[in-house]
Amino acid sequence: MGFEIKRFQGDVDEELICPICSGVLEDPLQAPACEHAFCRVCITEWISRQPTCPVDRQAVTACQLRPVPRILRNLLSRLCTSCDNSPHGCNAVLKLDSLASHLVECEFNPKRPMPCEAGCGLVIPKDELAEHNCVRELRALITSQQGKLTDYQQELAEQRLVINEHKRELALLKEFMRAMRVSNPTMRALADQMERDEVVRWAGSLARARVTRWGGMISTPDDVLQVMMIKRSLSESGCPPHIIDDLMENCHERRWPPGLSSLETRQNNRRLYEKYVCKRVPGKQAVLVLQCDNTHVDEHMMVEPGLVMIFAHGIE
Amino acid sequence: MANIAAKRIKREFKEVMKSEEVAGGAIKLELVNDSWTELQGEIAGPSDTPYEGGTFVLEIKVPETYPFNPPKIRFVTKIWHPNVSSVTGAICLDILKDQWAAALTLRTVLLSLQALLSAAEPNDPQDAVVAKQYKENPQLFHMTARHWTNVYAGGPASIVEFNQKVQRLLDMGVDEHDARVALSTYDWELERATEQLFS
Repeated sequence: MGFEIKRFQGDVDEELICPICSGVLEDPLQAPACEHAFCRVCITEWISRQPTCPVDRQAVTACQLRPVPRILRNLLSRLCTSCDNSPHGCNAVLKLDSLASHLVECEFNPKRPMPCEAGCGLVIPKDELAEHNCVRELRALITSQQGKLTDYQQELAEQRLVINEHKRELALLKEFMRAMRVSNPTMRALADQMERDEVVRWAGSLARARVTRWGGMISTPDDVLQVMMIKRSLSESGCPPHIIDDLMENCHERRWPPGLSSLETRQNNRRLYEKYVCKRVPGKQAVLVLQCDNTHVDEHMMVEPGLVMIFAHGIE
Repeated sequence: MANIAAKRIKREFKEVMKSEEVAGGAIKLELVNDSWTELQGEIAGPSDTPYEGGTFVLEIKVPETYPFNPPKIRFVTKIWHPNVSSVTGAICLDILKDQWAAALTLRTVLLSLQALLSAAEPNDPQDAVVAKQYKENPQLFHMTARHWTNVYAGGPASIVEFNQKVQRLLDMGVDEHDARVALSTYDWELERATEQLFS
């Protein structure tokens, strides 16, 4: 719908008036043959009722409407108009083509979003600022958030149920694959791949660790006391069951690779320690050096599926 | 009232007021209420027609959906015309119905109605009785229309014979307008009109 003609300075040429709304053309379109121009909103509304030109009744459909010629658009954009917010005190006089950008930032816009300065931090339309009550608004916000929270919790519970269901199915499938892998080489490859993926996923879930004192390494830990504690922690962190026993074995220098197997070789290779990507064993002064994280390390410094190094102190 | 309708009517009202037709006394327009939904129009009977010298008042109701729908207009002044109901004043004119176009204005509509008084469309009648007379007895139609213009619209031509016949029926206790309608309908044959009135 067009602009109120009274808003414009001076006379507006009859050619720039929409014959439907009798305002100054806004976003105009023209009929194809007779070239009569109308506001987009006005002509669309009219054609939805009757597919004719409102001036001369020639047949016109909505898709035949065309943008008006540049000269008409230019004439329109040069008209000088007052701001939409002039009743609210804005005295700006603007070219029609800069009206839209002015309206975005016009300070007199009663609906201009303003931050509440009383402390609630909400952004509210300027004209509602006087009526604004922080407590009431925040309370309403809390109510709505609580409603959402309840919904999410319910959804979460439902999803958990579904996930558990999936886990059970997955466990069954894995069992099935293990049973099959013996007889079927394809199945074996698949199962191996799955196990590798499982390790990678688990490795990705663990936090990185930094060893500040490599000298604090305990190369011959006590099986019962130290190793069992580590095992429990690994198991709780989601360590895939098929590697946990190997990892536990790899806590001791007797199973370590040639580059680490004795105090002498360890001292020779000490500079290589910094290359290790270490993962934290949750809650313990110990690190995991998994093979899948350390493919860049020399063979004589690594074993399958990885190393566990227990320290006296110095793990961050 | 929808913004667009009010805006249009205000502008059209001014357009009519400034027009040369108003200056020449051919048409007139007045507001009935402040909401711009109802107006009263007046058109002068065109010269060389039986309506010459008469002033015809129109009731104009502007719908909420104006100008996407036409204004609702009817004659308040009683008129004898094939395209206007002699009973209700309803008008049969294509631009007030399916031929309405949004660019038409109150001024153009009033002028179209004036033109309708000059050029009746008896083949698309609103009042079948009047249309029949118009086609079968144009002379009598002309006189009847002039008589109605004189009585209801302030026209100059008083037709003595018709007035006497109406008076005869009045003397019998018949309502004046009923008497005139009956006489007009039965081609001013007193006997048939009386028969119809008392049957």
